[in-house]
Amino acid sequence: MRRIKKVVSTALVAAMAATMLVGCGDSSTSSSSGKKGDDGQVTIKLFSNLTDRKNGQGLVEQTIIDEYMKANPKVKIEVEALDEEAYKTKFKAYSMSGMPDVVSIWGQPAFLDEVVEAGVLAELNPSDYSDYKFVEGSLNGYTYDGKLYGLPRNTDISVFYYNQKMFEDNGWEVPQTYDELLALADKINEKGIVPVAMDGGDGWPLCVYLADVLFKITGKDYSDAVSNAIKTGDFSAPELKQAAQLLKDASDAKLFQNGYDTQDYGAAMNLFTNGQAAMFYMGSWETSMATNQDIAEDIRTNIRVFTMPTVEGGKAAATDISAWNGGGYAVNANSEVKEEAIKFLNYMYQPDKLSKYGWENGVGLSAQDQSSYMTGNETELQKQIVDILSKSTNLSGTPINDQGTSAFKTCIESEIQSVCNGSKSVDDFLSAIGNACK
Amino acid sequence: MKKLYSNKLVIFSLILPGLLLFIFAILAPICLSVYYGFTDYSGMGKYNMIGIENYKNLLHDKVFAISLRNSLFLAIGFICIQHPIAMIIAAVLDKIGGRAESIFRCIYFIPNVISIAVIAKLWSFIYNPNFGLLNNIIKAMGGKGNINWLDEKNAIWSVLLVLIWHGFGWGMLIYYTGIKNIDPTLYEAASIDGASQVQTFLRVTLPLMKPVIQVNVTMAVISALKQMETVYLLTQGGPGNSTQFAANYLYQQGFTAYRYGYGNAIGVIFIIICLIATVALNKVFEDREEAKYRKMERKRDKKNAMQKRMMQNNYKNSVKAVS
Repeated sequence: MRRIKKVVSTALVAAMAATMLVGCGDSSTSSSSGKKGDDGQVTIKLFSNLTDRKNGQGLVEQTIIDEYMKANPKVKIEVEALDEEAYKTKFKAYSMSGMPDVVSIWGQPAFLDEVVEAGVLAELNPSDYSDYKFVEGSLNGYTYDGKLYGLPRNTDISVFYYNQKMFEDNGWEVPQTYDELLALADKINEKGIVPVAMDGGDGWPLCVYLADVLFKITGKDYSDAVSNAIKTGDFSAPELKQAAQLLKDASDAKLFQNGYDTQDYGAAMNLFTNGQAAMFYMGSWETSMATNQDIAEDIRTNIRVFTMPTVEGGKAAATDISAWNGGGYAVNANSEVKEEAIKFLNYMYQPDKLSKYGWENGVGLSAQDQSSYMTGNETELQKQIVDILSKSTNLSGTPINDQGTSAFKTCIESEIQSVCNGSKSVDDFLSAIGNACK
Repeated sequence: MKKLYSNKLVIFSLILPGLLLFIFAILAPICLSVYYGFTDYSGMGKYNMIGIENYKNLLHDKVFAISLRNSLFLAIGFICIQHPIAMIIAAVLDKIGGRAESIFRCIYFIPNVISIAVIAKLWSFIYNPNFGLLNNIIKAMGGKGNINWLDEKNAIWSVLLVLIWHGFGWGMLIYYTGIKNIDPTLYEAASIDGASQVQTFLRVTLPLMKPVIQVNVTMAVISALKQMETVYLLTQGGPGNSTQFAANYLYQQGFTAYRYGYGNAIGVIFIIICLIATVALNKVFEDREEAKYRKMERKRDKKNAMQKRMMQNNYKNSVKAVS
């Protein structure tokens, strides 16, 4: 009997010890950074915000990865992809515990400043890229204190996509002024069609719209006006007030669909691609809609774009457009395979890779000169976007929500919904976002 | 076996895993939260100690006030709407009996089984102002059907409805088991005495269910305070901040606004509120008669102890006197 008891107690203690030891696994195996094997095998981990690996930008990224692995059999690239919001959250968690080797980043103060200050991104050598044909000024967003920390992937332009056939059938014309745009909203609403599909649930497209209108008012002074306001926390300048009012006017004129402030990206885009909305306000990265087989042909082939019309009394001309260099890539400063990761990054950015494949897949504009890839077989939409960019006289730079800290970004993206739906006055909105800067 | 359980080593080894789990998964993070609450840590890089600055800011933070108000609304909604209905349904289910009983029990529990992500997506379609089910029903009944169920005025009520509906099954199931545990002879006695169904419910079921109600209500209040997933997936706290809840706000500040220190300060206040709520609820549910009895018992113990001491003293004195 006594022996049995002894056995039982020992077994209990052993079981307890075992359960405790399970939690103490070898931490090096769970590290998120890549590693070098003894046999020269290298594993690079890539953390991407492109979840769709079979279409658009994600396909381009995956194609280059596959090519690189074929050309370098000793290199293995593992991809982890998450949607933008989830990506940014996990990015932060990684920055505390150890990053993957190559990561997607955004060349905007709201994202980059905190990340660079934390010292998690590797410094790149600008002279490596002298013949990479980067568009002038596109590296500015990725430069901090004169040092380069990443490379831009796209040039983004905010545009109104519109259904040309629907416009022609109903005798509507592309608006040349902001007033015409609002007047057009009435006409379209009369037909029971949504004028502009807007992803208002996310907040940032509304901020891009606000920045677009503000740029039309201030012209070249846009960046100074915004950065001054963010520095001082004082948003009471008349042009900021006017821009917020114009956004509110658009909402009051029912330019956007009913309940736009609660609908997400997908819901808004569906309204447009199903033909329930005449226009869709979004960035030029959605140019691949024209080749997306999931969209009905008579809609897909009739998608065209125009940029924000001019505002009465505004300083910007029709050819001054709201454009910036958003997403891009960087390398982890503490990566075990930093050299290999930079080598891969440089491979991706060779002018005939990201930029060329992106062009061929119609995923909008890259941050590198793409003019030599024109084949003449591009979609009308693609040609139109290139035309808009090449004829542009001024580019705005980073949208307002991405110019401040992340706290400012979070604040403006939720407050902007309140000012649009009228539950907050324009003045209250401006003072609330001002407080977030202090 | 008894000897085995009285072996201190065995007792210790059995408690240890739970204790360690508690220390490392709950106690240590709370301590770290308190520490980070005093810093301006962004979640990355270096940080400074800034004293109670975060807590001062929290006092003036309107969004935090809104999120606490919303949590309060939800707690009231749970206690006043969800739980009475859950209890009545549990009582009715108990009376139905047979196959129907288990079928209905399953049906009522289904929302709880479905993943929260699915629930949130499902309701965002139901509420959609352009093609949603709710507006289509209104249209079919001859109404205009263009209500925006998630706009700044309606959103909080729409969200509360989803949460109350979703958590209903749990509450019902616990009440149901509670009712099943009541001795059937009590019901027989009540029916012999000529009590009606309502009387039986009010006089027999309800009083005997008190411990169950206490557990359920405490859990409801805490889950109202902790609410995050559904709101995050359904509205992300918007439009504006009209459907912001404390836990969601904490997450937003800590992880998207890069104000990790501030997020931790919210967390600390949050823990304090949860503790206060639990203690307050325990006080509310404390049986007055039982409390009285305990008080009397304590008094009696004190008295006995005093008497004992006096007797001992007397004995000592008398011994001294004799010697």
